[in-house]
Amino acid sequence: MGRYIAKRLLSLIPVLFGVSLIVFFMVRLIPGSALEMYMGTQVEATPQQMLELKRIFGEDKPVPVLYVEWIGQILRGDFGFSLRTGRPVLPDIISRLPLSLELTVLSLLISLLIGLPQGIMSSLGKNPFLDLINRIIGLLGLSLPQFWLASLMVLAFSGFAGWIPMGNYIPFSENPLKNLQMLLLPATAIGIGFSAVIMRYTRNSMLEVLQMDYIRTAKAKGLKKNVVIWRHALKNAILPVITVVGFNAGGLLSGSIVIEEVFALPGMGRLALYAIYQRDYPLIQAIVLIIATIFVLVNLLTDIVYALVDPRIRLDEGGK
Amino acid sequence: MKKSWVVAAIAAVLCVVSAAGAFAAPAAKTLTIGVDQEAVGIDPHIVTAFSSMRRVDLMYNRLVRLDEHLAVVPDLAQSWDIPDNLTYVFHLRKGVKFHNGRELTAEDVQYSLNRILDPKTASPGRSYVSLITSIDVVDKYTVKLHLSAPLASLLDGLTSDNCSIVAKEVVEANGNLQKVDGGTGPFMLKEWVADNSMTLVKNPNYFEKGVPYLDKVIFRVIPEQTSLLAGVKSGDLDLATINDGAIIRQAQKESKVTVMSKPGLNMRIFSFNTARKPFDDVRVRQAVASVLNRSEILAIAEFGMGKPTGPLPVSATQWALPVSKLPFPKPDTAKAKKLLAEAGYPNGFSFKITCSSTYEGGLAVAQVAQNELKQIGIDAQLEVVEWGVYIDKWVKRDYDTMIELRGGSGEPDRFLYRTFYSTGGVNNFLFKNADVDKLLDQGRTQTKPAERKATYDQLQKLLVEQAPCVFLYCPNENQVVSKKVQGFKIVGNGSLFYVTYTKVSR
Repeated sequence: MGRYIAKRLLSLIPVLFGVSLIVFFMVRLIPGSALEMYMGTQVEATPQQMLELKRIFGEDKPVPVLYVEWIGQILRGDFGFSLRTGRPVLPDIISRLPLSLELTVLSLLISLLIGLPQGIMSSLGKNPFLDLINRIIGLLGLSLPQFWLASLMVLAFSGFAGWIPMGNYIPFSENPLKNLQMLLLPATAIGIGFSAVIMRYTRNSMLEVLQMDYIRTAKAKGLKKNVVIWRHALKNAILPVITVVGFNAGGLLSGSIVIEEVFALPGMGRLALYAIYQRDYPLIQAIVLIIATIFVLVNLLTDIVYALVDPRIRLDEGGK
Repeated sequence: MKKSWVVAAIAAVLCVVSAAGAFAAPAAKTLTIGVDQEAVGIDPHIVTAFSSMRRVDLMYNRLVRLDEHLAVVPDLAQSWDIPDNLTYVFHLRKGVKFHNGRELTAEDVQYSLNRILDPKTASPGRSYVSLITSIDVVDKYTVKLHLSAPLASLLDGLTSDNCSIVAKEVVEANGNLQKVDGGTGPFMLKEWVADNSMTLVKNPNYFEKGVPYLDKVIFRVIPEQTSLLAGVKSGDLDLATINDGAIIRQAQKESKVTVMSKPGLNMRIFSFNTARKPFDDVRVRQAVASVLNRSEILAIAEFGMGKPTGPLPVSATQWALPVSKLPFPKPDTAKAKKLLAEAGYPNGFSFKITCSSTYEGGLAVAQVAQNELKQIGIDAQLEVVEWGVYIDKWVKRDYDTMIELRGGSGEPDRFLYRTFYSTGGVNNFLFKNADVDKLLDQGRTQTKPAERKATYDQLQKLLVEQAPCVFLYCPNENQVVSKKVQGFKIVGNGSLFYVTYTKVSR
């Protein structure tokens, strides 16, 4: 297992290299630049001032040269300064990461809390009418755009309950109540949508498993129904769900941009959004690299959990 | 059933957790201001964004400032003499202290103005003072400025946040003032959590005795304007800057809040790229000016909150000619059609209006304009772009027509020169007119008010007639305040200076 993990960690290098190339050049394809945003439509500068401004904003050299310079900086651990604020980029990102991570984790928990039981009950087929309702709700959850649901929630809670966005992020360890106050609503907005995905996977997987011979054997052995379901069926059915959760965790983290903006959360996603609006290249590049790293690590984690849950799987043996 | 129990439990927890416990109620002498944009930096000589200026308003002073009637009044300079039109002598107040405790002297004024003029600073304030050739320290409290040519707008330019007086040692210790406080203003920077909140505390040594009344001012960044209004209603915010017309309307119906509204100095214009056909023909531009209906656009795009204007913001009553005294005061479709036919477009033509869905980008204005232009057979297509792309097109002059929001000023030269002079820094219309240039050069040097007024009257009429853009209206500056706030006044350029005299009753 150790060698396998080491190999996967090494794969981070080519991945990040490729991501850095893509983000650096792609982001400069968008019309507009940080310097232009700074000047806006109100500011005039002499040609001499423009030269100085171009130097300050890093636009005085050809793009490939700038790329090489930037890579050199990164390898020395220097992620550069924000064009917008002049502050070093990395501390700002790190300080906002916990909120986005917690939001993602909370959303996953909520979606599991809703989706798993729904999926299981649905698969047992006790009440076909309720099953239909579940499936419709599931379809709605999949189809309703997250941002729409989120905006609706903001309007409803703002308009009727006088809710306004909270100020600073307070870690769960410091003050659980205030922490949840900030994150529960947005996490639910994401969670409701994703719970539909969980529900479907759980339901389909359970249905398949319940047909298996070993379930019939268990029933024949006279095991109580609950034991059959929970100990035998679920443990096997859960595998595709783990895969889905793992592969989507990265997507949920980066998708939190929209939710963070709608709920005005001081998270990494919102930082990325404003960085893009302002063409704050160093900040955008750093955030994308960090998200890419998290993606790779989460995928690795998923594979490891998978192997731990299912003893039949041997990671380093490939497709044997 | 397990599922429904779980869902109900979550809903219950949500409601309890969200409703219970508010943002801890701040102490009695604190003003919490809600804004929808974070300040990008707070170095007065460098910042351009309005959001940043609002913080600088409270942390710094200038030689002179604008009062609520947009008149130039003393700030750090107690008085001044103008012995000849190339020399200004300022007499500074004694005993003004920087926030670090040191007394402000003439050397600080010299340092600050030099920093603004230094090309390395790349200061946006440079154009206001570019004609200054030297700054002399006459004695500890007296500064003399020498100009290379007369500049009637100098005093007005010196009221800009970009011309604040800063402490040299703070600049040198930190490289710049983007994150630190080097000012003398009524409030001092205490804490800044980026994209979140900024806390300012009272300057106990402020040069005006007895003020500010508040101990603390907190800026909170809340991007959704609906939430801003909710905040003032609930008492979490005391003041909120809201510019969305629909939300202002909502606020006006709320008994718990007061809406303060005053025509501002910003100006909504319909810009032409005069280098592109058919807008290179002045008759075509005049035709558009004859059909656009200011009142209708104002009523629909801004819910009527504003005032139609000419080239100078209508609230600058000292200089601005009202719309009724300018060409094309009211829509005249027949005249427009005639002009188009003369120019060779009897059946109209098609073109694009570049706009953005941000407030400045004027999408609503574009939609109304599009409708109105149909009446004379002109087919306008809306090119709605993201704000960064909008700016890019503006910089590259890559557009047919554009909806813009310009920052006007109460001082005619300060706005008109850079905007309409053939080599003006923000003349994105690519407009070149020798008569306009002549009047601009004339007005900037004249010091006798009667002569100057005559020049600018003539210029305003000429600008409307030549129509590098159609001047539409000045939207109102709006602040939504809670009933507990007293003493706050709106200044037409958006300045929050009057927070100095504001009290909050509990």
